[in-house]
Amino acid sequence: MTAETVQKSSDGKGIWLLLVGLVVVNLLLGFFLAPRHVALEHAPIVQFPNFLAFLGVPGTWLPAHVTFTWLVMALLVAGSLMATRALKAVPGPLQNFAEVVLEAFFDLLEQMIGKQGRQFLPLVGTVGLFILTSNLLGNLPGFQAPTANWNTTVALALTVFVWYNYAGIRKHGLAGYLKHFCGPIWWLAPIMFPIEFIGHLARPVSLSVRLFGNIFGEESVIGILISLAWLVMPYMIWLGVMLPLSLFTAAVQTFVFIMLTMVYIAGAVEEGHGEEQH
Amino acid sequence: MSDEEPSVLRQLARLSTVGVALVAATAVGLAIGYGLDRWLGTGPWLTMVFTLFGIVAGFLNLFRDLGLLRRPWR
Repeated sequence: MTAETVQKSSDGKGIWLLLVGLVVVNLLLGFFLAPRHVALEHAPIVQFPNFLAFLGVPGTWLPAHVTFTWLVMALLVAGSLMATRALKAVPGPLQNFAEVVLEAFFDLLEQMIGKQGRQFLPLVGTVGLFILTSNLLGNLPGFQAPTANWNTTVALALTVFVWYNYAGIRKHGLAGYLKHFCGPIWWLAPIMFPIEFIGHLARPVSLSVRLFGNIFGEESVIGILISLAWLVMPYMIWLGVMLPLSLFTAAVQTFVFIMLTMVYIAGAVEEGHGEEQH
Repeated sequence: MSDEEPSVLRQLARLSTVGVALVAATAVGLAIGYGLDRWLGTGPWLTMVFTLFGIVAGFLNLFRDLGLLRRPWR
């Protein structure tokens, strides 16, 4: 049921046009602008080469984490299209799975944000599925998780930052939202405002560093173990210890990211500033 | 799915946010103070003040992320 309500709103042609346009723009950007950004790319030990450069297409292409971001996007778009293309009253396995995932997100949203939580499904669901897919992708040998690069996680964290502030401003108005920053007592406002300001600026930093650090550290350890695989013992450590551990990390870090996103949104849109109760 | 974990895992996930939240707020406060000092030339004072602000903001964020403060001011 929920899959219908969410997916009906997007008409079929527009989304394909948008996707093709995005790919074309990205290819052009990659062709003309990439040389300046190559220096930003970190070089993990185990790294699958960039697809297009690997196929021998000339030109300087985007760094690997962007390519793998496209791969994750393609997986998610294809999966959701396949799950929702032919909706039935008695769902097949794929539609069933999509409904279970959606219901889980809805439950979580209503639990953390409250009655108004459902409207934030587009942000929280997209971010959660993207991060989970990326983290799991990093566990396949030869693939690199896009979230193991700080650029990706900064983009995610900034999206969340802009979105929750926008939600707060839309809910309370600019003045009402700024009143959140000024503390409970009026003469404390000059001290509370910078503290709140710094606290809000620190949120995207901690969000992005936490996700990037966990995934990158895990991939580095796995890379070192694989580079020593001829000793046999590191290979067994990888299979026995690091692989279960990194599957666990993938799930927990996804959960932490979307949980904090919902905490921030809940803090921005919640009713009443406390003055009414006094 | 990560959403179907038992509540112990959920609390572990919440607890694992502690370290980075504190450090990030302190670092942002330090950076702002240092930048203002470089810009205004006011010696070490703004760095000290904003680092203190950053530490306080870190604890505030910590309590909020852990859900110990439901409302902003409780």
